[in-house]
Amino acid sequence: MSTLPPGSVHGPVDTTATGMSPALEIDDIQSGALHERPSPYVGTYLLLKVHEPADGRELIRRLIPLLQPGRELTEPGLGAWLTVAFTYEGLKVLGVPQDSLDSFAPEFQQGMAARAAEIGDVGANSPEHWEKPLGTSDVHIALAALSPDAAHLDAVVDRARRAQEQMPGVEVVWRQDCYQLPTGRTSFGFKDGIGQPTVEGAGTPPTNRGELPIKAGEFILGYPDETGGMAPVPTPDVLGRNGTYIVFRKLHTRVAAYRQYLHDKARTREEEALLGAKMVGRWQSGAPLALAPDEDDPALGADPARNNDFGYATDLRGFTCPAGSHARRANPRDSLDHENSVDVRLHRMIRRGTSYGPPLPDGVLEDDGEDRGIIFVFAGAHLKRQFEFVKTQWLNDGIFIGAPDEKDPLVGATDGSSPFTIPQHPIRRRLPDVPPFVVTRGGEYCFAPGLRALRWLADLTT
Amino acid sequence: MGSDTSSRPGIRVGPTSEFSLFFHVKPGHGEALHQALRDLQAAPGYRPGDYEMPIASIHEARFVPFDDDTRLLFATSFDGPWDAYMEDFASKPLRLFDAIFQHVVGYEGLPTLESVKDFILSAQQSAGGYARNYGGTVKEIRKAAKVNEAFQQVLDDPDAAEALEHPALRPLLDVAAD
Ligand code: HEM
Repeated sequence: MSTLPPGSVHGPVDTTATGMSPALEIDDIQSGALHERPSPYVGTYLLLKVHEPADGRELIRRLIPLLQPGRELTEPGLGAWLTVAFTYEGLKVLGVPQDSLDSFAPEFQQGMAARAAEIGDVGANSPEHWEKPLGTSDVHIALAALSPDAAHLDAVVDRARRAQEQMPGVEVVWRQDCYQLPTGRTSFGFKDGIGQPTVEGAGTPPTNRGELPIKAGEFILGYPDETGGMAPVPTPDVLGRNGTYIVFRKLHTRVAAYRQYLHDKARTREEEALLGAKMVGRWQSGAPLALAPDEDDPALGADPARNNDFGYATDLRGFTCPAGSHARRANPRDSLDHENSVDVRLHRMIRRGTSYGPPLPDGVLEDDGEDRGIIFVFAGAHLKRQFEFVKTQWLNDGIFIGAPDEKDPLVGATDGSSPFTIPQHPIRRRLPDVPPFVVTRGGEYCFAPGLRALRWLADLTT
Repeated sequence: MGSDTSSRPGIRVGPTSEFSLFFHVKPGHGEALHQALRDLQAAPGYRPGDYEMPIASIHEARFVPFDDDTRLLFATSFDGPWDAYMEDFASKPLRLFDAIFQHVVGYEGLPTLESVKDFILSAQQSAGGYARNYGGTVKEIRKAAKVNEAFQQVLDDPDAAEALEHPALRPLLDVAAD
């Protein structure tokens, strides 16, 4: 396919979508961004360091056939999805010209470690404590492989590794395996990955009737976005178009501390479950408090047609779902519309998180020293106004809900001195000093280019 | 100065930051600008006696034409770091003030986000001094006012003194005397 000049309308026009947005070039977009991961899944993340640019580019060339653009994993040729992304350092090492490097988002150029103070990675979360080589200039290429089963995953990881092994100038510097826990839940016990924006033109049906599909340009570069404009597309156009920024964070979860906390603050198992739900905004099954205020409803949690179909407009004071709960902070839905200060649609994100580490056995309140948590993965067109805005304004701060002292009770950047308020009759419950339950082990800001862009990278000669 | 980034986002007191924009009025638009401001002042939220401006995250708003109506100052106090909300301004608050900004230079429909940023940043000047007489966000202040109103109602009850004797109500009793 030939390269189109910037701003040109390409491909057939998708007339089914509102606003006549150009159709997504699904075949040029890496599959990881637009499609749900399989469930259950197993996966592997590899970080590579490129010593020899020519080897790095040859590796990209060999990986391209393993990528399944845009498609659902319905007919698994390979049985696994591979996603390839690059850090700023990586693009530089591969020989991307400086004027092109300069055209990427400033936050991407700086890298996650340089943004640490801004996004709340301080104290125990600061880059000096990160797992090496995360946050260093040694991370160049990130590979993620996800598959419904271990056999297929091994097959694709083997092929990727073989491609890499023949390239002595490329070194694997980090590996992290992940798998869905047998319960289908993440380490704290909650089902995750439910609340996702519907991307206009991507072909997935909306799950929240209260939220019109979000313009594709909010997630994929080169398409109109919610502002009526377009996110800056890195140059040359062939490199930027159909790419997406990826945030990747390894987040250790202090499961024993979390369980001990709930145990201390609740008298019964029912109270524990309710307190846990008030902190997250959903019950462990995934059933949203907004639709199941009093007790978990596993059938609701498991039903994709219902478990995301709700808003908060009728619960502005948070008696059902606290304004300070994690999911309501991360996506306030319609609860801020009447305030005319913020447009929630400008701060949405695609999440592709996975679990790592063994589960802490049921009922155990003592830390067993194991590393467990989630690999948080974000995909979007804006590191700053999507990922960093949500992290700084909504999770790490409480100004927007009129509680400047409060932070996200589950994942906020806290030193353990922030309160959490649960509105309830007759008297609100205020928990002082919520301890930190999540520790940042490291992460990277990456760019996942489209397929044409990968070929362009492989063909660089500098 | 102008769009000197080192001075952004200006002075912050607690959760609140000062936010001032200095515009140039389009030549010949002085009278129309005044009319737009009178219209605003007659709109819900801005009428004398109203306290519910449509934008919930600002403490107050003032529009000041000056220099013979060739310039316009918009000054407010914003809950949060306003620069993080730049894109949001374009889609929400700026539209609410559309009738006013029509009359200032640089507001030509603001077709792109870049033009919105340019529009705001070229007009923004950080204060040289800024202080507040109370802390807290608009939401907290409103809540405090509501709670005080309820407390005054309690005090109006003939049995209030007796009820406030309960040890749990001690902090309330401490502020009940005047
Ligand atoms: C260890 C850290 C984290 C854990 C355990 C966690 C867990 C959860 C859970 C259980 C949910 C509710 C289920 C769902 O809707 O998928 C959720 C939702 C969500 N989380 Fe997190 N999360 C973590 C970190 C983060 C971070 C760092 C961000 C963003 C910067 C984030 C953004 C979101 C968003 C956007 C939603 C969906 C909200 C909605 O649409 O209703 N999460 N998370």
